[in-house]
Formats: sequence, structure tokens, C-alpha cells
Amino acid sequence: MLNKRNRRIAKVVTYILLVVFSIYTMFPFVWMLICSFKPKTEIRTATPSFLIDAPTLENFQRVLFDAGFVNYIKNSLIVSVVACALSMIIAVMAGYALSRFYKLKVVKVSNLAMMLSQMIPGVLLLVPLYMIMRQLGILESYGSLILAYTTFVIPLCTFMMSSFFDTVPMALEEAAEIDGCNKAQTLFKVILPLSVPSLVSTGLYAFINAWNEFMYGYIFISTDEYRTLTPAIMLFKGANTIDWGALMAGSVVAVIPMTVIFLFLQRYFLAGLMAGSVKG
Amino acid sequence: MKSLRRLTRDQKKFRTALIMLAPALVFLAGMIAYPLATVIHDAFTYRHLINSSMTGFAGLENFKTVISDEHFFDAVQHTIIWTVFSVLGEYIMGMVTAVLLNQKFKGRAIFRTFIFIPWLVPIIVAGMTWEWILNPEFGIFNYMLTSFGIVDAPINFLGNSDYALATVIFVNIWRSFPYYTISFLSAMQSIPGDLSEAAAIDGAGMFRRFFSVTLPQLRSVSLVIVFIHVIWTAVNYDFIWVMTEGGPNYATETLPIMIYRYSMRTFNVGAASALSTMMFAVMAILFVFYYRKRTKISEDMA
Repeated sequence: MLNKRNRRIAKVVTYILLVVFSIYTMFPFVWMLICSFKPKTEIRTATPSFLIDAPTLENFQRVLFDAGFVNYIKNSLIVSVVACALSMIIAVMAGYALSRFYKLKVVKVSNLAMMLSQMIPGVLLLVPLYMIMRQLGILESYGSLILAYTTFVIPLCTFMMSSFFDTVPMALEEAAEIDGCNKAQTLFKVILPLSVPSLVSTGLYAFINAWNEFMYGYIFISTDEYRTLTPAIMLFKGANTIDWGALMAGSVVAVIPMTVIFLFLQRYFLAGLMAGSVKG
Repeated sequence: MKSLRRLTRDQKKFRTALIMLAPALVFLAGMIAYPLATVIHDAFTYRHLINSSMTGFAGLENFKTVISDEHFFDAVQHTIIWTVFSVLGEYIMGMVTAVLLNQKFKGRAIFRTFIFIPWLVPIIVAGMTWEWILNPEFGIFNYMLTSFGIVDAPINFLGNSDYALATVIFVNIWRSFPYYTISFLSAMQSIPGDLSEAAAIDGAGMFRRFFSVTLPQLRSVSLVIVFIHVIWTAVNYDFIWVMTEGGPNYATETLPIMIYRYSMRTFNVGAASALSTMMFAVMAILFVFYYRKRTKISEDMA
């Protein structure tokens, strides 16, 4: 009897605590969304409210068209998609080698090199990377960002792929080989079709990483033409009086695509992410 | 005959492995190893981004420049406070939420999604939104505090040097703890349920079960995640730059902000590299401890 009552209390406590945590994590989103539809007079008030008297789209209008965010979104998309595709190709190849030839010395050394690279933070390499990009003549272009974003996700993406390949039985490949497939055919026709969930989570990780990155975009690009979304938000804030309504609208634009993709793919994504991070 | 064939097959394996690894290795060599070597080299060289007449071997001059910077020791202190309290807060929040979510109840998936979402937000957006919430003039948080009578006058959380560092730490915890939640949760789900059941039959209460059964099983994942986050937090540039740019009056200046200041504001590449090299040295020492501890844990487990 007592036990049952205790259990019920535990359940109620669990729900209460989770609701409190959810308010803490979700409140900024809700507030961002509300403010993005508020007209100026309701933004700059000392008595902010959760209700909007006169909802408006003018914040979105200002940030997307007047401040040129449409172009920044396009740039972010181009950079993220290319960096994502590139890192996936590289990670599939390296991950396969890490999984299948783990006994070879080259592979062991590469594995260690990736582990170490994962620990090396971008900000410490800021200056030399800036110099390299300058020498290559790609500072004010997509190329510099694509190179940087790809590099820094390679280790984790590779670990994510290799821990998946570990679960694909060797017998499957041997069967394909007996049927006359060469290594490349085996990879493309047998293994990759099985790996769709892992490919999704690896690609999503690379994409989110590129979409959200701030520092390199802020430093490598100084012209409006190639600017990406995150530095654009920072610069927009730097203007004389901060236009909070437009800033919140810009933030909504930056957050919504990620959130929607995540909601659809979260099961794959979280499983893949965990498999990779435990390995690294 | 047989041994010859074996050899060629091994060679073939080696060749395949190398081809598959090549693109990754090229990237890591060109974009991580080479820049890393450059940083260490530049630390001992006079080098300026604009003034190319500054050249030659500098010995320890660059290190002297950095250490004699009037803000250096404050920045070290801020970096330590920033790292320790961020990681501690994230760990506790992550553990509590993981324990809560590791039970069977209705709506679990929704709560998990709610709690994970901050991790998807770009740091710039997290910083900006919180800055707006905490704004002293128009922010909702100060409005609530004053209307409930908790404080008399609005607090300028980011503009006051007494609160700025704590505020940035708070926002960092908000953005980063979900990763701990998910890691702990997936580790907890791999703990065999009968362990906890056996402890329950032996009369262990909820807290006892957590500290004697669950927590020891999480040692390995805790070590990995804490170590990586200590490094990532100590060298994080984005959060602080986005919210305070190191201010007000250097109250939130950490070492990465100093690196940025040296390299992109005063263009003294030598000094920036010296500072980076010092941070690498500390990280390398931490890594040795981490590696030893990790080996020890996996031996204990085996």
C-alpha cells in the first residue's frame, strides 16, 4: 500500500520537475516567437506582456528584405549543404576503413589522429587558418567556410559512421564478393543502402554544425555578398539602437529550419550522435 | 607460393585502407596539423598581420608580452571560473534531467524533445535571446522581478561587471546541458535493470540506488563528457563574444577573447600564438591525466 503511494508521489514529483525544466529550456523560444510578431511600440515598453495587441509581420519584413537576410540565408544554405555533403563522403570512406581494417597500423594511427583532432579547438588555430585562407585567395568566399566547417566535423562524423559499420556483419560483404562485386560495388550496393539512418544522423550533425557556426563566418567573411546568417545577426545587433523585434524575427528564421528537421529525424539523430561520441 | 599470395592480399588491404582514409587525412593534415605547427612556430617568432617588417626569432619575447599584459591574470581567473562553473552546472542539470527521463511514464518523448532543443540553437541566437529577456529596460525577466517585488530596481545583468560573468555562465549552461542529458540517458539505458531491482529488493532506497548502482556505472561516460566539455568550454569564444565582447571593463574577458584581441584587433600574431601555445600545453597535460584515468577505468571494468 505504502509502496504504491510512494510511487504515485514519485511520479507527481517527476512531472513537476520536468515541467519546470521544460519551462526553463523552452521559455526563450516562446518569448522569441512572441516578440517577433510584436510591433515596435509593444517591444519597447517597460511592461512587456505575453499577449500581442496588434500582431504584425513587419519585423520579418524588415529583417528579411530591408536588412538583406534573404541573401544571408541563401549563403548559409549553400555553405551548409556543401560542407555537409563533403563531410559525409569523407566520413563514409574513413569510417569504413576504421571499422573494417582496424588491425592495420595506418588505421590505428589515423584513429588516434582523429581523436586528438577532435580535442583541438578552432579558436586556437584561428590565425594560421586565416593566413592559409588568405594565401589560397578564398577569404571572401564560400570556399574558406566550407573547408573549415568540413574539417572540424570529420572526426565525430567518422566515428559515427564507423560505429555503425561495426554492426554490419562481415558475412554480408563476403556474400557480395562471392557474387562478384568488387569493394566499391559492395559499399554502394550493399552497405550504404543499409546505412540510411546513420547517414541521416551524420549528415544532420554536419549540417547543424555548419549552419550554427559563428566564429569563422564572422572572421573570414567581411562582405555582405558572402555573409552567412549567424554573423549577420551579430552585426545587425551592432547597429546604433538595437531593433529587438527584427532581431527576434531573424532568430526565428535561423532556428525554425533546424528545429523542424530535428523533430522529424530526432530518433536517428540522437542514436547516431551517441554511438559516435562514445567511440571518440 | 601461398605466402606470396597472402602478402599481396595484405598489400591490397593496406592500399584500400589508405585510399579510404586519404581524404580525411589530407584535411586533418592541412587544416589541423599544419596550422598547429604554425602556431607553435609563430609563438617564438616576431610576426604581425599588417606590419611585415616584424620578423625573426623572438625567443620568449611573445610570452613575456602576453604575461605582462595587465589583463592576463584576470583572464586566467575568468577562464577558470567560467569553465568550472559551466561544466559543474551542466553536469548537475544533465544528471538530474537524465534520471527523471530514465523512468517509464506518459509523455516522456515530448519532455525529452523539450529538454534537448536548446542544444540545436546557434550560440548567437541563444546569447541574443537571453540578452533580450534580461534587458534592464524592456526585458521580461526584470519586469517580473520588479513586479513581484523581488528587487527594487531592474538589474543590468550583462552591463554590470558584478553579474556579467555569472550571467554568461548561466546562458552557457542553458545551451549546453542537454548534451549531458542525452549522453547520461543513453548510458543509463544500457545498465542492466536487474542490478537496480536487486538493490531495491535488498532494501536500498531511491537515492541509495542512484549513488551505489547508477552513478558508478556512469563513470566512464562522465569522464569522457566532462573532459571534452572542460576543453570546449575553456576555449569557447562565441558565447562571451556574442553577449559581452569581454566587457564590461574586461569583466568577462577569458583567454580565447584575448587571443582574438591580439590577432584580429592589434594584429600581433606572435603574441596570439604564444597565448594559444600556452593553452595547448595546459590541454596536453590535461589530456595525459584523462588518458591515464580512462585506461584505468576500462581496466577496472574488464
